[in-house]
Amino acid sequence: MAAILLIACAEVGGASMARFKLELARGARAVMLSRPAVHGLVGVRDVDEQIIDEALVKFDAGLRLFHLHAEGMGLVIIATTMTAATLVRSEGARRAIILLLTVGGAGYPFGYLLWSALIPYYGIQTGKAVAEWVVWIPFGGATIVAAWWLVALVGARLVRRT
Amino acid sequence: MRRPPLVVVFVALVVIALGETAGALMSQLRPQITGYARARVAANPQAHGLAGSAEYDAEVTARGVYAAEAGLSFFHTHAQGLGPLVIFAGTVAASTVRWRLARGAVAALLGLGALFPLGYLLYSVAALERGRDAGIEMAERYVLTPLGSAAIVGLVALAVLMVVGRGRDRDA
Repeated sequence: MAAILLIACAEVGGASMARFKLELARGARAVMLSRPAVHGLVGVRDVDEQIIDEALVKFDAGLRLFHLHAEGMGLVIIATTMTAATLVRSEGARRAIILLLTVGGAGYPFGYLLWSALIPYYGIQTGKAVAEWVVWIPFGGATIVAAWWLVALVGARLVRRT
Repeated sequence: MRRPPLVVVFVALVVIALGETAGALMSQLRPQITGYARARVAANPQAHGLAGSAEYDAEVTARGVYAAEAGLSFFHTHAQGLGPLVIFAGTVAASTVRWRLARGAVAALLGLGALFPLGYLLYSVAALERGRDAGIEMAERYVLTPLGSAAIVGLVALAVLMVVGRGRDRDA
């Protein structure tokens, strides 16, 4: 269910990005202009426009990456948890792997939404650092650990069979 | 539902895990990766056609670095996409294809196809070591095209076998 909800969020995110592209860019731009110190705006149009454009590109990239990763991770969660449920014999390990894959995989893409949301308020780098520590590292780390744990268990089973 | 051969599942899982790890490493080590790529381009001046002119060489180096980073990015995205695809298609093949030999052939093709994303790792390395165009051509010719073809043939064969299987069911 988490995977299906995630895929649904990705679809809604993709559709909203396309439908509200201009409104989102205008909103982000207005917030940036109201916080010149955060973005290093100096009041010179040529310089400021370049800075705002760069931040808007990253803002848009964050939304796109959310859409991409949510669709991809949804499928990864279904494939890997299905495999764990079928092939991992120890109940404790099976539950832990499925939990880590589900929570990690479902949470990770929202880091990109958080990054996008933070860019207009706190700038590209601060937003990225917050998203990294709050979402990407814990949730992405959980997925990576669970994926390699599953690889090790399936690999051990393969070796035992041969 | 029946599961695909264990070795196919294992290969798909390894590819997924590698793709996830590569994504995390790319994000955390981007400056180091860029620095390494620049150093490799500089170490292979003939392959990249560096001319000794700072402006021209900077442009050539930037293109080489871009190709290497694109290869890593393609590896990450294709591994995340193809790994689950192979598990799903392998499960469909194991569950719906009746003929043992055909089932084995489809599983083998899908297993080989699951390795396709690794071609993008070669793409990254070869673009730096052999020059952008020659490296990309090498990865495409020797890894991406054969393994990608295996995945395509496996999927098409699965579709054909499913249609033939349904036709036989209807006749019986």
